[in-house]
Amino acid sequence: MDPGLIIFLFLQGLVLGSIYGIVAVGLSLIFGIARIINLSHGALIMWGAYTALTFFVGYNLSPLGSLFIAIVVGLSLGASIFYLVLRRLIGAHELTTLLATFALSIFLEEIARLNYGLDYRGFSWSLGVVKIFDYRLTYSSILAGVIALSTVIILTLFLYKTRIGSALRGVAQDPVGAYICGIDVNKIYALGIGIGFGLAMMSGVIITMYNPTGINPYLGAPYLLKSFVIVVLGGLGSIIGAYVGGIIFGLAEVVLFPLYDYLHFHSPMSMTLFTEFVILLILLLIRPYGLFRR
Amino acid sequence: MIKGKIIDHTSLIIMIFSYIIIWMLKTSFPEYSQMLTLLLYYIAIAQAYNIFLGMTGYVDFGYVSYFGLGLYGMALGVSYASQNNLSSSEAIILGMILSVILAGSVAGVVGGIALRLRGAFFAIATIGLSQALRYLIEGAKIWGGAEGIIIAKDLRKLFGEEGFSYATIILPDTGIFILAVATGIIMYLIRISRLGYGLLAIKEDEDAAKVFGVNTTLYKFVAFIISAVLTSLVGSMWTLKVTAIYPPESFNITFSVEFIVIVMLGGGGTVLGPLIGASIYSLSKYYLGVYLPGLQLTVFSIILLLIVLLFRQGIVGELRSFLYKHEIVRKIIR
Repeated sequence: MDPGLIIFLFLQGLVLGSIYGIVAVGLSLIFGIARIINLSHGALIMWGAYTALTFFVGYNLSPLGSLFIAIVVGLSLGASIFYLVLRRLIGAHELTTLLATFALSIFLEEIARLNYGLDYRGFSWSLGVVKIFDYRLTYSSILAGVIALSTVIILTLFLYKTRIGSALRGVAQDPVGAYICGIDVNKIYALGIGIGFGLAMMSGVIITMYNPTGINPYLGAPYLLKSFVIVVLGGLGSIIGAYVGGIIFGLAEVVLFPLYDYLHFHSPMSMTLFTEFVILLILLLIRPYGLFRR
Repeated sequence: MIKGKIIDHTSLIIMIFSYIIIWMLKTSFPEYSQMLTLLLYYIAIAQAYNIFLGMTGYVDFGYVSYFGLGLYGMALGVSYASQNNLSSSEAIILGMILSVILAGSVAGVVGGIALRLRGAFFAIATIGLSQALRYLIEGAKIWGGAEGIIIAKDLRKLFGEEGFSYATIILPDTGIFILAVATGIIMYLIRISRLGYGLLAIKEDEDAAKVFGVNTTLYKFVAFIISAVLTSLVGSMWTLKVTAIYPPESFNITFSVEFIVIVMLGGGGTVLGPLIGASIYSLSKYYLGVYLPGLQLTVFSIILLLIVLLFRQGIVGELRSFLYKHEIVRKIIR
């Protein structure tokens, strides 16, 4: 194997892992703050991708601009969904919130299906390619990875350096205690869920930067499934853990796929996904609550 | 059963009575026969899942895997029997045994590892199982790989041309009915046994249950295995109806969620809950498909959301807490 390929795969793994990371961070954040497993995360990712598509095709706006639109829409959607539905379900059994977010995900997917149809769509936004030895990596995908990384850094700074950030962490730790300290717990929940929804829609835009084709109403499902594995890997509720889990996952994927291809498996992609799940089970056996959980 | 406690069988009697009504409707209205079989199929799986989900409160997103393994067990059994010239009854029995072994062993491994986790962690840990099995079958090209297994020809060979409709309609329909009754009775027996009280204690407060001497790990594990094996048997009967199985359909995670919705709709941990949940779910799904084609999922999602908001403990559970004062209601909806 030549060293160029190894470096290329490593870089590609970092980019892919960074994208998986940002998807998982949103999921982990919502769980950490409101104890809700957001099954509508995949549908929100899909809507993010459609946002990028619509604004690119309709208004010639680059996905970089769509990022901000996605964040704003996600924030307001998350806050309104919280006040309309989820507020009544805080502290209820996990099953209840699971069903509520599942219903929301069907609703969002169906709206997209009625609006855009089932066709696979795409657009071409090219910034050129960078050549790493003999292999090509698009600039837009590198940009996607960098944006994902900087978002996580900004989010971490927000959570640990600002007053609202510490209020968010306070509510995550102990809602009753936070309430006694004078924090408006409902507002904080709305904000936390809003940020989570915003991150989900934003990661949809980032995904189109990595791969601007194959946008369809069920785009989010595989990302949702993977981010569940990643979140367990990193420890539910941990932001850094989710991101690092994503990186590990991305790297594992770019290594495993050529390996199975080399070993002449019938479908290397399927075997890669299977291995990822086996890794999860083994990890759960060793560290039941994730790698990065204290 | 716990000694010295007077056990009231009202809910069991109502359950058996409903089964008899469904069977009578099925025989007297042949045009609705397949819809009622679908209903019985949902009831059987919901009752089986209720033993785990309803009683312990643990959400298993990989639950469709045991159904899928049941499908595959029967398909493998039938094709093996037809290749080796076994008799038709041997083929069915072999298929059922294979289903139970496959589902039981996978449930054993997954349960052994994942049941150490609680709540949300367990739900997320199991979410990838069905996908993993699907990808293993497709990727390693075992059991026909992505092409699936088609058993129509094998069934024709085993049962003969004239026995084909028996093998694909009468036999599985009867099997699913028997399983629906059996899972309901097993659920009831567990509900009134030591195991059932232990499981409900786990659902309420696992740590407290442990302190009071409930062997929580063992109880959860036993419920998990029983539930998985029963579902795999429903799957094995379903194979005979569909006669062709493919990995994406057999291990579709949407089915897991569908099963969860049904159990929750009726009320987890109650004997009559799955019956009511499955009836409402399958009938509303069917008629929404008839009257609002294309829009049924949109309407369904809104209804689901309203149900979650209005009936938090499921329909039976909500009725129970609302009407708990009245003794007769309490008896019925236990």
